Amino acid sequence: MALPTQPKATRRSFVKLAAAAAAGVAAGPFISRNAQAKPVQITFARESSYVKNFDVHFQNVLAPAYEKATGIKIEYQVQAAGGSAVPQLVSMVENKSGADLAWVQQEWLYRDALVDVSDIAEEVGKQQGGWYDEIKRLSVDKGKWKSVPNGNIGQLMNYRKDWFDEAGVKSFPDTWDEFLEAGIKLKAKGHPFGMSMGHGFADNYSWLYPLLWSYGVTVMDKDGKKVALDSSETAKAVEYVKKLYKQACIEDCIGWLDPANNKAFLTSQISCTNNAYSIMVSAKRDLPDMGKVIEHGLNPKGPTGQRYHALVPVTHGVFAYSKDPQSAKDFLRWLMDPKQYRPWIASGDMYFAPYLHAFDKVPEWDIEPRVKPFQKVLETGKLTSWPAPANRQHGEVINRWIVIDMFTKAITGTPTKTAIAEAVSQIKAIYG
Amino acid sequence: MSKILEASRAGPLAAPAHRPIGLGRLGAFVERESVFSWLMLTPPLLFLLAFLGYPFIYGVYLSFFHKEVARAAEFVGFGNFVKLYNDPIFWQAVRNTIIFTGVATVLKASGGLGMALVMNQSFRMKSFARAMLLLPFIVPTVLSTVAWQWILDPGMGLFNRLLVVSGLATTGPSWLGTPTMAMISIIMVNTWRGLPFFGISILAGLQTIPVDLHESATIDGAGTWGRFRYVTLPSLLPVILIVTTFSIVITFFDFQLVYVLTGGGPANSTHLMATYAYSLSMGAGQMGLGSAVALSMVPVLGLLLVLLTLFVRKD
Amino acid sequence: MVGELTWQRRILGLWLPLVGFLVVALFPFTWMAATSLKTNAELYNPKANPLSIQHPSLVHYIDLLRETNFLIWVANTMLVAAIATGISLLLGAMLAYPLARMRFRGGALLAVAVAVTYLIPQTLLFVPMADLIGRMRLGNTLTAVMLTYPTLLVPFIAWLLMGYFKTVPKELEEQAMIDGASRWRAMTRIILPLCMPGFLSAGIFAFTLSQNEFLYALLFLSKSSVRTVPIGVVGELIRGDAFYWGQLMAGALLGSIPVALIYSFFVKYYVAGLTAGAVKG
Repeated sequence: MALPTQPKATRRSFVKLAAAAAAGVAAGPFISRNAQAKPVQITFARESSYVKNFDVHFQNVLAPAYEKATGIKIEYQVQAAGGSAVPQLVSMVENKSGADLAWVQQEWLYRDALVDVSDIAEEVGKQQGGWYDEIKRLSVDKGKWKSVPNGNIGQLMNYRKDWFDEAGVKSFPDTWDEFLEAGIKLKAKGHPFGMSMGHGFADNYSWLYPLLWSYGVTVMDKDGKKVALDSSETAKAVEYVKKLYKQACIEDCIGWLDPANNKAFLTSQISCTNNAYSIMVSAKRDLPDMGKVIEHGLNPKGPTGQRYHALVPVTHGVFAYSKDPQSAKDFLRWLMDPKQYRPWIASGDMYFAPYLHAFDKVPEWDIEPRVKPFQKVLETGKLTSWPAPANRQHGEVINRWIVIDMFTKAITGTPTKTAIAEAVSQIKAIYG
Repeated sequence: MSKILEASRAGPLAAPAHRPIGLGRLGAFVERESVFSWLMLTPPLLFLLAFLGYPFIYGVYLSFFHKEVARAAEFVGFGNFVKLYNDPIFWQAVRNTIIFTGVATVLKASGGLGMALVMNQSFRMKSFARAMLLLPFIVPTVLSTVAWQWILDPGMGLFNRLLVVSGLATTGPSWLGTPTMAMISIIMVNTWRGLPFFGISILAGLQTIPVDLHESATIDGAGTWGRFRYVTLPSLLPVILIVTTFSIVITFFDFQLVYVLTGGGPANSTHLMATYAYSLSMGAGQMGLGSAVALSMVPVLGLLLVLLTLFVRKD
Repeated sequence: MVGELTWQRRILGLWLPLVGFLVVALFPFTWMAATSLKTNAELYNPKANPLSIQHPSLVHYIDLLRETNFLIWVANTMLVAAIATGISLLLGAMLAYPLARMRFRGGALLAVAVAVTYLIPQTLLFVPMADLIGRMRLGNTLTAVMLTYPTLLVPFIAWLLMGYFKTVPKELEEQAMIDGASRWRAMTRIILPLCMPGFLSAGIFAFTLSQNEFLYALLFLSKSSVRTVPIGVVGELIRGDAFYWGQLMAGALLGSIPVALIYSFFVKYYVAGLTAGAVKG
């Protein structure tokens, strides 16, 4: 197109402009290559979900959708279940290389290596009914959110309604004393309870700690400085567990890791155990007759008149060593948007219960009525460190099974007082 | 083979009287025993220094530090070891490891010797039998251990079903549910897995004993037991010693089996030093303390091996 | 023939104990095979006979092959084991030969040092090793395990080979060198071939250990496509607290078959080498 003739001054500026344009055209490819310093890929590590559909939904629906929207590929790294996720996470943090964001199991070990995600968490909380307070104990460190809670794996008493009815226990026991009575009746009929007390991470903590709490005992005081475990109530709780084991439980259960109670229940060896709802799902799929008679009950109340549940949290964090933490955060923000979050949670059949009040009454809970009680867990659910902070020392107590072993040592012959004293001194040594 | 035994006790090889054909001055230099040796040794030594030496030194170094995940390390001298000295779980792990290793090794060695003696006869399908007998050793440990979890199940497992069906018990024992039974179970699974290794190695040793040794012993009037005691056993001793030593080391460091089967429970009755070190480093994030446990394995193992050597020397 | 009542001795001395050993060695595999062929309904049935199969089904095998990367894991495992074995045999032989057959300053000390290295527990090394692999940017690559497995294998292989190397008489080497061969030729043409049984034995052992390794594979290989059989099977066939027993057992059997086949193939050569040596000696 012919340019109108210009006076000398503008011709000079035109030449400058043209030169700039020419330079720009020449430099174009170089600049656009550098502008693509956005990551081409984000790696997201998560332990494999019990409900396979949850992982499938992520891989087939969410990841491609994000790639379409932003051009960034999401690599979904499924980690093995059964305790190997934590070593991999620890390894990643130590070597400053690995996934960009992850389900940060045992985040108390490496919170300092996680990026501040308060902006995301606060926004999500505001948008979706507010967070349950208890989860902040885990995700908030020194006033900053270090992880965004994704959901809770609820743990309740799984029991065989047909056998309970047969033994004359018409409604699920409301107190621990009633629980013991029911267990005695059922064991007499050849259907003992199977309460996990071995070196697992969920099915032991999910009833032993709530039991202690319902007796009015906590491991540490609320500042996490003083050991609160040595009290007469602890001795009562230990004596109760001894009785429960001897009179109502199958012999094997003091050595049970987390999968063992599933196996025992599905092979009709036990009538009750504390677990997530994986047993019901397996039964519905493989043993339909048993699937029809499985029910879920809340943890019984203790002498304090209270009942408690243990939370098993799933939280997502972004690693500071990531090449582009901001992109990882953007992805996390997108994931937690109700447009993505709600269908994803639904694809998992509510196995992961959101810690957001907006989900308290959603219709998804009514699809399978026996899943609904798992939402109730959030009301009385506490982190295992409650009321103390969920810090590294707490993690050490958990990973060395100090409180669990207190119970099993008493069962296998150590005098109750000694077992408690040993546990207390070990915990004192850890907290320093 | 006696000539070979003699030969290996021969004195140092003298340098050849004349140069090999076709080598120049450099070649002659390389031909010198020490130069040739060191040239050959350099690549493997470099590899080991890089991939074994460096991690080892770092590991030892870590054990003198208080090192938590994602935090800087602080020097604590012997602090970690003092902590372990006062830690009842640590001492239990030490006891468990020694018992586990000792009993399993004795079972594997004697069972392996028996297997080798049986297999040293000729019969049809021998190679097939040999391959079958080796299967426990070949299958990845993790997988066979997972299978054993079910075999040891108190209600559904093979053992207890057989016990009940044969009328030997009303219900079988809880194989993984009491401290004593759990230890018995892990020893049993380890023995099952490791016995073929002993068997096949000792068998190889048996087959290298020259027939004429046996013949001359028979001529001298020795019966089957006599031949075993005076010919077979002494000739086998080096093989048995090597295999036993190696097995003790591997068993002492065993990790997978307990990790999968019991996680160290019940009540720490099956926690081995290896699993305890792992749970401290990776579970509690205490890498310094975990390394200290791992490092402590070396002197304890050394002690066991010294005892073994003394025991053998007594013969 | 020594001994009377041969057939009775045969039964007591051979067949009875042999069957005993075979039963002990194989019963878990029978159980694994039975489990892999049963449907879940039958598997969880407390009244069913553990060893008999009412309604055999290949569903677990099909699911294993179709829905997991099992075949990829087998390929990875074989590849890693083969390369790690090769590297270990090479380095082990290079270490063992001078230590076994030559006299030179520092030799004795070095032999002791090599022997001592396999007193180092893997649990002491795995934290630093993870650091090393991370620094070399080899995370999630098969190279990471190909390089780290030899650290577990070389010391033992070296010691094993030293034993074999020592049994070959020095006269053979001396004679060869008198005839004009260099040390290298004497070694590669004469001594090493005689030690074939040793190499095979060490190689088989190394191969087995490699495909059995768990800890380093667990730490370094998290992507499904680079996993080896032990961690692939355990990682993806256990979801939450549910074990997919049928598929686990199917995987265990399928994973052991290649190795068993390889082993049974080499055993013939191994024994032939040994018996030939015995006759000659």
